[in-house]
Amino acid sequence: MLKSDSRPGARCWLISIALGLAVAAHAATPEFEIEIRNHLFEPDVLVIPAHTKVKLIVFNRDPTPEEFESFELNREKVIMGGSKAIIFIGPLPPGEYPFFGEFNPATALGRIVVQDDGDAG
Amino acid sequence: MTSIRTYLIVALLSTVALGNFVAAVYGYRSSMIEAEALLDSQLNDAVSLIATMRTVSTPLVDAPSSLMAFQIWSADGKLIQRSANTSDAPITVFEDGYRDENFEGFRWRVLSRFDQQQQRWLLVGERIDIRTQLADKVILHAVMPIVASLPLVALVVWLVVGNGLSLVRKLAQELGGKRADDLSRLTTSNPPVELAPVVDAINDLLRRLQESVLRERRFSADAAHELRTPLSAIKVHIHNLRNEYPDETDALRTLDRDINRLSHLIEQIMLLYRTTPESYQANMQEVDLHALAQSVIGDLYADIDARQQSISLTGSAQTVTGDRDSLIILLSNLILNASKYSAEGASITVHVDRAELGICLSVADTGPGIPLAEISRVFDRFYRVGGDRHSSAADGCGLGLSIVKHIGDLHHANIVIENNADGPGLTVSVIFPADFQSPLIFTRHSAC
Amino acid sequence: MLVNSVIIVLREVLEATLMISVLLAVSRPLQLASRWLAAGLALGLVGAAAYGYFLGPVSNLFDGVGQELVNALLQFGTYAALLLIVFLIARQGSQPYRNSRVLPTAMSTAIALAAAREGSEILVFVTGFLHMDNFMPSVGLGSFAGAAIGCSIGVLFYYFLLAMPVRRTLRIALALLALAAAGMSAQATRLLIQADWISVAGPLWDSSGFIAEDSLPGQLLYALVGYEATPSATEALVYTASIALMALSIFLGFRAAGQVPTRVQ
Repeated sequence: MLKSDSRPGARCWLISIALGLAVAAHAATPEFEIEIRNHLFEPDVLVIPAHTKVKLIVFNRDPTPEEFESFELNREKVIMGGSKAIIFIGPLPPGEYPFFGEFNPATALGRIVVQDDGDAG
Repeated sequence: MTSIRTYLIVALLSTVALGNFVAAVYGYRSSMIEAEALLDSQLNDAVSLIATMRTVSTPLVDAPSSLMAFQIWSADGKLIQRSANTSDAPITVFEDGYRDENFEGFRWRVLSRFDQQQQRWLLVGERIDIRTQLADKVILHAVMPIVASLPLVALVVWLVVGNGLSLVRKLAQELGGKRADDLSRLTTSNPPVELAPVVDAINDLLRRLQESVLRERRFSADAAHELRTPLSAIKVHIHNLRNEYPDETDALRTLDRDINRLSHLIEQIMLLYRTTPESYQANMQEVDLHALAQSVIGDLYADIDARQQSISLTGSAQTVTGDRDSLIILLSNLILNASKYSAEGASITVHVDRAELGICLSVADTGPGIPLAEISRVFDRFYRVGGDRHSSAADGCGLGLSIVKHIGDLHHANIVIENNADGPGLTVSVIFPADFQSPLIFTRHSAC
Repeated sequence: MLVNSVIIVLREVLEATLMISVLLAVSRPLQLASRWLAAGLALGLVGAAAYGYFLGPVSNLFDGVGQELVNALLQFGTYAALLLIVFLIARQGSQPYRNSRVLPTAMSTAIALAAAREGSEILVFVTGFLHMDNFMPSVGLGSFAGAAIGCSIGVLFYYFLLAMPVRRTLRIALALLALAAAGMSAQATRLLIQADWISVAGPLWDSSGFIAEDSLPGQLLYALVGYEATPSATEALVYTASIALMALSIFLGFRAAGQVPTRVQ
């Protein structure tokens, strides 16, 4: 299954290198929003559908910068104070994927719960 | 170039810093875990405390402190009591245990416990950011000394390494300070184990070098000495031959001249090796250079006059510490050189005077001088300006100036050779130190 | 806060210091003056300050993925510089390098690009906490400790590399540079995935149970060879291709030096 999935990915990559263009279909990507406020993620649990790429928009409402980071999601992005960041996630198999704010790891903690479509509420 | 000192200091400091900081971080982390366990048990105590509270019928709003929050819920999910900093929503799930939760704009460490006696849920929370800050502050004080000690450690490492290498530096100084002809053993006493092989190897090398130098000298001196007798015999034979064959004068004269040249060479070699430092120091005495020059000029006057050259002595009486016989050789070599390499009719001036740096003896001629490029080579043994096709066609073996240099060195004198500034000719100056015990150190070439 | 600062700074510093150690160790047998390091670091710091200062506006470019694109560009740039560096080193062997300014310039470029990317994050982090008094001691101390640990590891690694025979130092350096460079191009690919410029399927494998990415060995491997516990097929492909390209560059370098017999046509 993984093998058949990997092929279009590789081809897309080649095309994007060749044309220098983004080829992903943005329109179909579901969007989710998370806020950082007082070094907290709000909500701190986000449920997203399995095997689907999603667009995560993180608003940093604090004056201080924050770095959205997740080893499990392989994502890392600095978000300056008072600005928003767009991070694409997935597609992912079902499971729990913790993320944290690297600059405030004591409080800025959350997790993304990936569920199969039937379970996702 | 690699420096052992830099390597040792940098590598040691890195190791110490790495060890210290990693230890500090690990210490901090385990202290943090410990502190959190402690704070968790305090939370547990707080729940026990709340369990003793009397339950009132209406939801009561208490405000114990903004850093703690609590809620009491009935088993059927009705809010019985809460602190002011919580809302009407449960702050965590109704399930025994510790959990981290977000509410009221903060992250809380929350403990929920079911009170079996009164059939109610006790939920107590403590702000994590405050907990962390508190623990941070306490542990930081414990970790700080480890970090603060680092500069001190660095200083000590610096000094220790420097001290450890000072023996190497001392050895290098002793080696560097050795005079070119000083082949005596190194005096480094009690060298450290690591340096002992080096010192031993150098001493061994010096010993072998000294032996071979002595062997060379002895050989040269012996060879010269051994050659004298047959040479004298040959001279007698030539004398006899000239008497016997008065017609063959040309060939015999050439032969005679070559033999004379050979004996001169041998005399010079013997002079060179007679005046070695060892045999020498004992004969030091006060010598009036001016008077000595006068007597040498007197001895050589016939030769100079034969070439229709004039010679004059100027300056004043000056006393130097030296070996009379060597100084005579030095003077005659200089004067004969001046005479030999100047054309007939040239004039030679010998000058003895007190100079800025010591006592100066100079011999100037009006000959052709020496090309600048060759000046530095004239002290080399057997070196002759212009090679064999010397312009003056004078006899010579190329040892004269190197003997002068040798004798000069024995007197700690400095020799300067310059072409005359105000006309053709060469001036050789020998500057003797005013005090024999404190040799001159020249920072620049300076004639008198 | 202290451990956190240590980790943040160490993670950023480690990658650059390890690369600097390897390049410095290579400079010794090639008799390169280490001026390239000073130039690269100075340039990198200026770049880091500028990038950190403009990170907000930069992030908003390209529909909000400007940060990913710039980082990916810097990573690919480092990869390209390293591609040239390994070729020149392989061609040079252990002979003194006096040919041209190309190698030192490439080294400066690699260091500058890496330092700009990683330095900017440290600057954003530290300046973000500058005005918060109760955080400053632990953030300052932690950052200092992180930098000290990173530099110490780099120094010891440098001396470790130098302690070996020259030929082995060069071989190991080439291998390490190839792996690190491949890790960078894989990271850059990941950033493009994050920016949705490349679409991928799910992760190819999950080795986080074996070596977790947030563990100490995981971090070291990440800095050294670009370790990734849950890579996508695209990342794995790019990583492999990057290593192959690096190996080709090294091979061509060796061949240019005449160390590999060329087949007679």
